[in-house]
Amino acid sequence: MFAHIFTARLKCLLRDRGLVFWTLLFPILLALFFKMGFSNLNTADSFRPIPVAVVNDAQYRRNAPFRQALQSASEGKGRLFTLTVTTKGNADELLKENKIYGYLTAGSPVEVTVRSAGYEQSILKSFADSYLQTYSAASYLIGKNPAAAAGLAESLQSRRDFTESLPSGGGASDNTTLYFYSLVAMACLYGSFWGMKEVVDIQADLSQRAARVNVAPVHKMKVFFSGVTAVFLVNFAEILVLLVFLRFALGIGFGGKTGLVVLTALVGTVTGIFFGSFVGAAVKAGEGAKVGILIGLSMLGSALAGMMYEGIKYVIQQHAPLLGYLNPVNLVADAFYCLYSFSGYGRYALDLTILAGFILFFGAGTYLIIRRQSYASL
Amino acid sequence: MVIQVKNLVKRYGDLVALDHLSFDVAEGEIFGLLGPNGSGKTTAINCILSLLSYDKGSVEIFGKPMRPDAYDIKRDIGVVMQNVAVFDELTVCENIDYFCGLYVPEKARRKKLVEEAISFVGLENFRSFYPKKLSGGLLRRLNIACGTAHRPKLIILDEPTVAVDPQSRNNILEGIQNLNREGATVVYTSHYMEEVEQICSRIVILDKGRVIADGTKEELKDMISLGEKITVETSLVTPEQIAALRVLPGIASAEFNDKTLVVKSEKGKSGLEEVLDFLRKQNIAFGRIYSELPTLNDVFLEITGKELRD
Repeated sequence: MFAHIFTARLKCLLRDRGLVFWTLLFPILLALFFKMGFSNLNTADSFRPIPVAVVNDAQYRRNAPFRQALQSASEGKGRLFTLTVTTKGNADELLKENKIYGYLTAGSPVEVTVRSAGYEQSILKSFADSYLQTYSAASYLIGKNPAAAAGLAESLQSRRDFTESLPSGGGASDNTTLYFYSLVAMACLYGSFWGMKEVVDIQADLSQRAARVNVAPVHKMKVFFSGVTAVFLVNFAEILVLLVFLRFALGIGFGGKTGLVVLTALVGTVTGIFFGSFVGAAVKAGEGAKVGILIGLSMLGSALAGMMYEGIKYVIQQHAPLLGYLNPVNLVADAFYCLYSFSGYGRYALDLTILAGFILFFGAGTYLIIRRQSYASL
Repeated sequence: MVIQVKNLVKRYGDLVALDHLSFDVAEGEIFGLLGPNGSGKTTAINCILSLLSYDKGSVEIFGKPMRPDAYDIKRDIGVVMQNVAVFDELTVCENIDYFCGLYVPEKARRKKLVEEAISFVGLENFRSFYPKKLSGGLLRRLNIACGTAHRPKLIILDEPTVAVDPQSRNNILEGIQNLNREGATVVYTSHYMEEVEQICSRIVILDKGRVIADGTKEELKDMISLGEKITVETSLVTPEQIAALRVLPGIASAEFNDKTLVVKSEKGKSGLEEVLDFLRKQNIAFGRIYSELPTLNDVFLEITGKELRD
């Protein structure tokens, strides 16, 4: 009996073009639009070395620490400056032609020459300030205790961080990933439409087809279970297709923990299906109204999870964390984010535990409502 | 008895939908449940099938109490709902197979039953069609096939011919009679008295959730005081002539309205000869004249004072 109902439901699901569009093609199209929209965002945000100059005069040539500090700030992959060592006249000319943001002149104190105020000019000034402070502190200490000079030089060369940097989940920093995670989470919640349909098809007070099922010699929970299994299979396959598309066609990172990414998709899918079945059973309204409620709730959940504006997720986390925990879309998106960004599993486990709680709540709620076998009105 | 309904009461708030409804259906009958819209026919069917809970009374099918989990009883019942209840995403053949499969798990037997059901309702040329491609009449036939493919002993059809063209209606009615000839007991609800008269061996007339008449169509017609109804198309009949007509022997009533003279004879009398003789003697020119035997509508009219189709 299970195989008979399961096969028929599978055919129904796969042939429902409207539902397949909204649950598979729509998220893929949305992901494509996101990718197009965000394509320049990361490159625009990445830091580019600031073109600056230093006046190559006698003081500069004498001041070895200053030369060394500038050199170290102008070398390597993460360098601050693209440095031009030149005469004062040429530095003025470069500044006038906007080829540099400013230039430094060695001396006591070091002079910073700029034409206007701005982000790049502030960095140049901060560099000069930082150098002067370090230099003054070192001069003072050596003056007081000349014996400490060797140790101080060593200490200054080996910079020490006072904050601990934990290893990441394997993903490079990318603010746009959250949009894609919330998109996957939204697609998981779109399984709710199918969960709702399963309930409508077994509740005699909701459809004539269900009435026909109810007069057949089959327990309707058996019909529901067979149908939900088919729904899960199709919906989960769709989410996997979406994940593969995001990862390999759009290059969205998921942190390399494939097994846990699949587990998150699975839990998200089941949450979506039971959420839909619960709304289908609990809301006493027509099918159209139920679809409307599900669209509204999943869109609201997606928006609050950061699908339209990623900052909202942090605002909620800071000011109304409970709202974040009560939003299944946010929990699924956050679970993906944890896998991508963190090496620890504490927050990820919390997300999945709450989602499991939702599954239990929606599943038990659905069962309690649909288990009755005859109706007060049809 | 195949079905025994005793004192069934169903209330929706203050509205009494079924008011101590009682009737029996014997094996091999085509049992008609006739009544105007809102008389309680569908409510009665839903209570009998345990789809609806009821406030009072009892329902027995095949001699056992009917409950929502009485799967042994349900296995031998076929139901054709008032509205078409099929899956749009499954073909004609797949729909019948799906619903038949809820009763018949064995694949080989089911395949044979599905083929028989398709040819029974005449959908051989539409087996791979999706329901949206079928006309209203063909959809109704599919609906019947889905409800009866598993060869049930008891078939309940709730207004299966609503919004169906005359040709499909005749096919459906013939099909129901064939199912009955093959051994199925049939419960047929309708507000079309002609259909019920045509196929039902016993009829219960419902009004406001109560049984107002029960019997064969002859027994029901025998309940009323009128005989034939004679209708005469004529241009003018004076009030004096009407009064004279009314006192003729065997005539129960006579009325003239809108160029139509309607004369009703007393129970068991024809009255046609008397009317023709009267028209000739009074030199009343007339066009068409025809006589009808009492219908179930007349029965309903006499008992309730209103038309069945109201």
